[in-house]
Amino acid sequence: MRATLCAVVLATALVSAQTTYKPPRTAGGQPDLNGFWQALNTASWDLEAHEAAAGPVLQLGAAYAVPPGSGVVVDGPIPYKPDALAMKKKYAANALREDAEVKCYLPGVPRVMYMPYPVQIVQSTDMIVMMSEFASAIRTVYMNVATPPPADTWMGWSVGKWDGDTLVIDSKGFLGGTVGALDDEGTVHVRFLDRAGNYHTEGLHVVERIRRTDADHLSYQATIEDPNVYTRPWTISMPLYRRVEPNMQLGDFKCEEFVGDLVYGKYQKK
Amino acid sequence: MKARTIPVLTRTIPVLIGVILTVGAASISAHHSWNTVFSEDRPLVLRGTISKVELVNPHAWIWLDVKGDDGAVQKWGIEGGPPNGLIRNGVTKDSLKIGEELIVHGYGARDVATFQVAGVKYEKADGQEFWLANEGAEATAKAKGNLK
Repeated sequence: MRATLCAVVLATALVSAQTTYKPPRTAGGQPDLNGFWQALNTASWDLEAHEAAAGPVLQLGAAYAVPPGSGVVVDGPIPYKPDALAMKKKYAANALREDAEVKCYLPGVPRVMYMPYPVQIVQSTDMIVMMSEFASAIRTVYMNVATPPPADTWMGWSVGKWDGDTLVIDSKGFLGGTVGALDDEGTVHVRFLDRAGNYHTEGLHVVERIRRTDADHLSYQATIEDPNVYTRPWTISMPLYRRVEPNMQLGDFKCEEFVGDLVYGKYQKK
Repeated sequence: MKARTIPVLTRTIPVLIGVILTVGAASISAHHSWNTVFSEDRPLVLRGTISKVELVNPHAWIWLDVKGDDGAVQKWGIEGGPPNGLIRNGVTKDSLKIGEELIVHGYGARDVATFQVAGVKYEKADGQEFWLANEGAEATAKAKGNLK
């Protein structure tokens, strides 16, 4: 409860900071979001408040343990339907099999925005591209169009518009699991939002609100809706920090080569 | 092993655009040379009802229930091009409904026991035609005059 209160206070502080800062403009006249951004919290481990915990692999000890966090859900706990909460616990217990991150599948939205990897935003007036270092995941935000998703994908279909200085992105058209996977080893049945087994299905609808709060911070907010899983929409909020290193760039994190043996090892010639 | 069964290759459409821009569409189709699995000498026309649609990378699949002369229903898999190609041809996830009747033109597998087709185009009940973005098979069909 205290953690939730802290998150609300933080969100309120971010909102009040927003009202005073006027962000610089791009050549097209929009607020300038270009640059490298990264979350600096434990949302990737668990969106909700959580204590430190041992990691999933005994031999890795403290090195891959779960760091504690006060949570990023502002109107939490996550409002699971009763049966969906039971499923969450089951998926959490099977995270090494069910989590797309383990298998190097594209992480989806909003997860890609708060993984412990930088996200580069490249902005034009017609589209805004957001590129994560993780698996070279890319999302394109098509500005001021109403085109419905042409196909369901891991990363979904994002359309955006400016609400004053705030970028509002509406995303749907998400896959809820693997299609045509080779076998159980390659299959994921739902899509994790974090490593703790919080999940969504193909019913996901995300509305994000992103705006500059000063030279080196973004306010990032996402309202998450999925009638298959939750009783109501719920919201996460966090700052994203600019990576200010002068030599900053996205590195190659082509993780397929790290999971080939894990997923397909049994098909290799001995 | 069919390409469609490799989930690690299941990428988003924007990534695929990047791949096509970088590598070039010609080398993509060369890489996935369609006629190693399918035969140019087995042009087929199938009439059936849609049982499943997989608009996924690297190749889209449409699954048809086809009733034979003996009345038995056989499930056929129609392999198309990448979803991005189908979308450019006007085929989206809302285009194909389960249970809808389709006529599909394509080429059967070299292994006749494999009920799979390199799809070239399909016709809907109202006569509308859509191309399946299967570049190699489409080029062959046009060159050989296998399409009406």
